[in-house]
Amino acid sequence: MEPATRFLRRTYRHFIAAGVALLFFGGAVWALRASSLPPADFTFSNLGEIKTVDPALVTGSSEGRVVEALFEGLTRWHPEKLTPQPGMAYNWEISADGLTYTFFLRPEARWSDGTPLTAEDFVWSFRRFLHPETAAEYAAELWYIVGAKKYTSAQIELGDPVEVELPEKPPGARPFARGITLRGRLVGIQIGPDLQAITPLPVLPQDPPSAASAPGNAKDEPPIYWVDVDGELLAFQKGGKTPGTRDYQWLLYDFANVGIRAVDRHRLEIRLRHPVPYFLALMGFYPFSPVPPHCVESFGYPEWTKPGKLVTNGPYVLEFRRIRDRIRLRKNPYYWDRDNVRLEVVDVLAVESYTTNLNLYFTGQTDWIPIVPAEVIPEIRRRCPEEFHSYPLLGTYYYLLNTARPPLDDVRVRRALAMAIDRKEIVEKVTRAGQRPLRSMVPTVLTVSIPEYIPQEGPQFNVAEARRLLAEAGFPDGREFPPIDILYNTSEAHQAIAELVQAQWQRYLGIRVGLRNQEWAAYLSSRRRGDFYVARAGWIADYVDPISFLDMFSGDSPLNNTRWNHPEFNRLLERARHETDPKLRLELLATAERILMEELPAIPLYEYVSQNLVRPYVRGFYSNPKDFHPLKHIWVDYDLKATIHRPKGLWSRSR
Amino acid sequence: MVITLWVVFTVSFFLMRAVPGGPFDRERQLDPQVEANLRARYQLDKPIWQQYLMELGRVARLDLGYSYRLGDFRVSEIILQGLPISVAVGIVGLATAVGLGLVAGCISAVRPGSMLDVSLMTLATIGIALPSFVIAAVMIILFVFLIPLFPAAGWGTWRHLILPGFCVGVPYAGSIARLVRTAMLEVLSQEYIRTAHAKGVGTGGIVLRHAMKLTLLPVVSYLGPAAAGILTGSVVVEKIFCVPGLGVHFVEAATQRDYTLAMGLILVYTFLLFVLNTLVDLSYRLLDPRVELR
Repeated sequence: MEPATRFLRRTYRHFIAAGVALLFFGGAVWALRASSLPPADFTFSNLGEIKTVDPALVTGSSEGRVVEALFEGLTRWHPEKLTPQPGMAYNWEISADGLTYTFFLRPEARWSDGTPLTAEDFVWSFRRFLHPETAAEYAAELWYIVGAKKYTSAQIELGDPVEVELPEKPPGARPFARGITLRGRLVGIQIGPDLQAITPLPVLPQDPPSAASAPGNAKDEPPIYWVDVDGELLAFQKGGKTPGTRDYQWLLYDFANVGIRAVDRHRLEIRLRHPVPYFLALMGFYPFSPVPPHCVESFGYPEWTKPGKLVTNGPYVLEFRRIRDRIRLRKNPYYWDRDNVRLEVVDVLAVESYTTNLNLYFTGQTDWIPIVPAEVIPEIRRRCPEEFHSYPLLGTYYYLLNTARPPLDDVRVRRALAMAIDRKEIVEKVTRAGQRPLRSMVPTVLTVSIPEYIPQEGPQFNVAEARRLLAEAGFPDGREFPPIDILYNTSEAHQAIAELVQAQWQRYLGIRVGLRNQEWAAYLSSRRRGDFYVARAGWIADYVDPISFLDMFSGDSPLNNTRWNHPEFNRLLERARHETDPKLRLELLATAERILMEELPAIPLYEYVSQNLVRPYVRGFYSNPKDFHPLKHIWVDYDLKATIHRPKGLWSRSR
Repeated sequence: MVITLWVVFTVSFFLMRAVPGGPFDRERQLDPQVEANLRARYQLDKPIWQQYLMELGRVARLDLGYSYRLGDFRVSEIILQGLPISVAVGIVGLATAVGLGLVAGCISAVRPGSMLDVSLMTLATIGIALPSFVIAAVMIILFVFLIPLFPAAGWGTWRHLILPGFCVGVPYAGSIARLVRTAMLEVLSQEYIRTAHAKGVGTGGIVLRHAMKLTLLPVVSYLGPAAAGILTGSVVVEKIFCVPGLGVHFVEAATQRDYTLAMGLILVYTFLLFVLNTLVDLSYRLLDPRVELR
């Protein structure tokens, strides 16, 4: 080889090596570019990345912790008692029949960009929330409002008042504003050649496209809607292909007939179909917070949720979001109650692993973790009992029984299974965080808020009686009991509980039960298809009312995977829904629960508990049955914090 | 490469939709009407071949769409935020793997059968066999709690990089050490090495100047696909150290049926694998002059 080429090859090689090294180093620096963050006043772990900060689209407690800090609804919950307190509305009036609510909004209320917040903004937000295009998951919770269900489900009938949104936007509208909306009355629906109408209609020039096309196609053509708009008869068809028709975006029940109305700039009126005792509390639930029309219409979803663009009305604004790392919140200078918001900067960590959370807590990198691994609870109780807050939650852990599958179609078998579960052993050996055994579907902690309600308990732990029932059903000593299994979604805790129940049934009834473990989506799919014998389930209520736990067993509930359909139970719930006397209503619900606990399509096991680990210098943190800890009320006692040089915890003490 | 990506896209597209469950499954089953609205919004109500063509068209235009589960973000935003972080951790991991692996392998090969060799190779086997969460736990106990050198978890400074990087690298270091030892032993038995010995070159010189290049051949071909895995992040290590890289997204996108995000990640991984394998092929030429590139 020539010395010159050899030299060139050498430098070339060194060049490559240096280039690669530089690239690697540069990459590392780039990835770490945001290293010098000023520390936050308060940091907490939020167990995972949140799905969105758009209130209309959130579900889940992690999302809730952020959204309730960013937005505020008409009311807000008391941090300890959960009773509805004034929020965006400083006062309200309820009509005598309990159907009409008038909310008086704070005249000083502003969005975080300084724009005044009005009743119109609420109407706009509720309309967006209910609109089928938004596809809000909690939409059904607003169907108590007159006309709301018809609006969301886009079901319209002849004679209904309708609104037609055209593809064209009004002049000067924001890029994501709704199109021009025409209001009128639906007078005719034409599907192919069939016309249903309530008044004589002019005939469309049918000849060219639809008549010429194959006869089978006529049915596939979108229907033509005839709408009487101020005396003028207009025809609308999706796509607008048939001559004489116009294209449209949405054809919905007229929102003007939905029971939400701005009486004036600061007065909002909501009309309900039937009395809802928890409606005021519901209005404090974060999905029903208003969103800023000017911001949403300018950027559209999801662009409007980006930091810098997002405009909010709650105690905090969004400073930045780093996926699966942290969300930084800063105090909102325009919040009406800003003088009582004491934390300036709050970091929300998206740490998922329970153990990692614990490590961060004990190394002082986070001030509050909302859950701790079950194995370390006894240790934590011993070392730092004053930092561990465990409180019963409005949630039930239960087993669903598929009542369509033998042998579980026999109520004696279901009772036998329920009576052969020793719940005490479950909470003492497996869950260990102070959960209380539960024999009713409605958790007993509900009585703290609603003392008039008496949860109806199912049968007690009683092996002899369980064996007798099983023998009566044709399986003495568990002989010839068909193979059944327990379905649960992948999780160590669920597995441990299922294993224990499996052992108890084997021990007390002599029956063999299999275990079936599926990851979350597959598990839900099996549950829905009814492809299970016994399935683990849990329910945490969104609002404080027994109906939240009973409603899901009514025959038409999409949550009822047990195939259990009890006419009397359904009738009692329906009566309770329309009952105006609160006492009588609770009695009806209790009767319904008694039927449920006699029939046992589901076996309650225990009541969930909150498992918060909170540093001693954190103030304004209250335990309550919804595990709801609004950031607005939390503050840090800096004097106390200064006296704790090192985070007090397992490791530092044992060293 | 376009064909590879297309095949991967097609297979993943239909596999994803064949699995039971969908992106809108919750414990609280949605009202049928609400779910229908959601499906319409993401165009999942269309026939599957139409969905396929639409998505293929989008991907061809390099638009990966919005994530289903992290609805506020585009898939490209998620990848752009996560990939550099995974790469940074991966580089520390690679450095650990190559550094430890090479040194241990060479030492073992020079003194085969000695106590040193046996103990190093035992360590390498342990490194391969131990799951990363055990290594991570030991590291955390040692360097976070007993000797507080590094933060327990999180992201932000170079100190957050070391422990996860090390834990990612250790299993690979074990494999590399064993590869290097075998290859080095073989190379050392060759004629030209004996010539070098005869010329009077010392052991160190022989290993570094003469034998190293050929020894690296199997290591490099192993590193190609391994690097693609290391650079896109490890689920376990990312979870334990709460590193916001891409690894966790892989698993979560799959379990939560986040069709768009899963597809984006699969395509990125395929692309990386392809590029790194090509680089490996190219580097053969640099290491072994006998290899002809055609």
